[in-house]
Amino acid sequence: MTSKFIYIRTAQIRGLILLTFFLALIADSMNLYGETLLFLPPFTLLILLYWSGHFLDRTYITSAFILGLMCDGLYQTTLGSHALIYVSLTFMMLRQRGRFKGYTALQQGFFISFYLLVYQVISFIFFSPVLNQNDAISYWLMPLSAIIIWPILAFLLRQGTFQATESSE
Amino acid sequence: MVAFILAVTVMAADHYGHIMGSVRGALLTALNPIERIATYPQHLYQSMASEYSTRNKLLLENQQLNTELLLLKAKQQQLANLQMEVHRLEALLGTTGKMNDQSVQIANISFYSNNPLAQFVTLNKGQKDGVENQQTVIDANGIMGQIVQTTPSSSRALLITDPDHQIPVRIQRTAQRGILTGKGHDLMQLNFIPYNSEVKVGDILESSGLGGVFPQGYPVARVSKVEARRENPYLTISALPIAQLHQTHKVLILGKPEKEEEENTAASNESQNQQPIQEVQQPAKVNQPKEQDESND
Repeated sequence: MTSKFIYIRTAQIRGLILLTFFLALIADSMNLYGETLLFLPPFTLLILLYWSGHFLDRTYITSAFILGLMCDGLYQTTLGSHALIYVSLTFMMLRQRGRFKGYTALQQGFFISFYLLVYQVISFIFFSPVLNQNDAISYWLMPLSAIIIWPILAFLLRQGTFQATESSE
Repeated sequence: MVAFILAVTVMAADHYGHIMGSVRGALLTALNPIERIATYPQHLYQSMASEYSTRNKLLLENQQLNTELLLLKAKQQQLANLQMEVHRLEALLGTTGKMNDQSVQIANISFYSNNPLAQFVTLNKGQKDGVENQQTVIDANGIMGQIVQTTPSSSRALLITDPDHQIPVRIQRTAQRGILTGKGHDLMQLNFIPYNSEVKVGDILESSGLGGVFPQGYPVARVSKVEARRENPYLTISALPIAQLHQTHKVLILGKPEKEEEENTAASNESQNQQPIQEVQQPAKVNQPKEQDESND
């Protein structure tokens, strides 16, 4: 299935990409409601890493910057801080995406959890979130939750990509 | 590389220069529909839950509200008398009036964040309604926070429990001043209260009005824990917010104290210029009841 991705170009699924970014922003907004949802990963970052890791014709750096700025607006953090983290992680993904594409969804999940650990460490340094004992556990367990979420997300996005490509043809 | 440099530049500009207000405003305007969509599941749940509430329950609630309204009206009458008394005393002492009627706006909470990174609420009133940065937001119980960002149709208020938020307060009982800092998780810490100060659990902290951002005299928090450590010259005091930060749906946005003062000064200057007219008009007002009495007779 992965080999089929080689023949799909970003331009063919631009609408789907924008829709997924939009839905991810909504999901992240919903995460803000409760402090108990700290174990959930930022969906904007997951989606960004998915598209940048699977489609080689674009770098997605501009998307990372814009999405990062949107997240700064959403989380009320210093403008540019999330943009910097997102751009850095996307750049890391660009360096590895050749290998990343060849992995199975579960292997990719472990790979992504490492990226999210980097995200959490940088966020901890940048934003110094006030965490009590329970929150701290949820906060640092978030990369592990990505291992479960990633295969489901990857499956849905793969299906969505094929459907969008078929409908455009 | 360009994106890296741009991100760092934006960060520096926002952190040190505070010149990115318009960019943040534009971002918030773009995020408004997203925040609205994100609240739909909650609204749906609430509307479904409310449909199940029985007629009796609503009648009971209505009865309770009517009683509460009656009590509040009675209290308001007392307050009006007290206000007049204070004005009279202030006039005797020659001090300027401080208990002016503040302009307020009612707003609804359309979105909120209860995340350790940020604790804020989004209100449905914005620049079009005259909302500005640094305006105070209160609920029926006390101060909730202050406006930090505005868009044409909405505004964002940072809650007093946000770790980035600080408010000058005084202990209502002793008038001891301090700074109340947000600690996240609906907690706050009262700083700069010396070791030998008299503070008790249950003391109410009210805004001191220092700094000119928050109006004075509004309840902010209640002391929940007082710890004295010998190595520290200050007491470690924890406090809980009095305002119902997560239950309130309607809030009041208060007019800026400075702006109010300016308006009142302008009004008082005008009234001073028109004083001879008032002096002529005053006896006429006093005579009115007499005329009525005569007519009744």
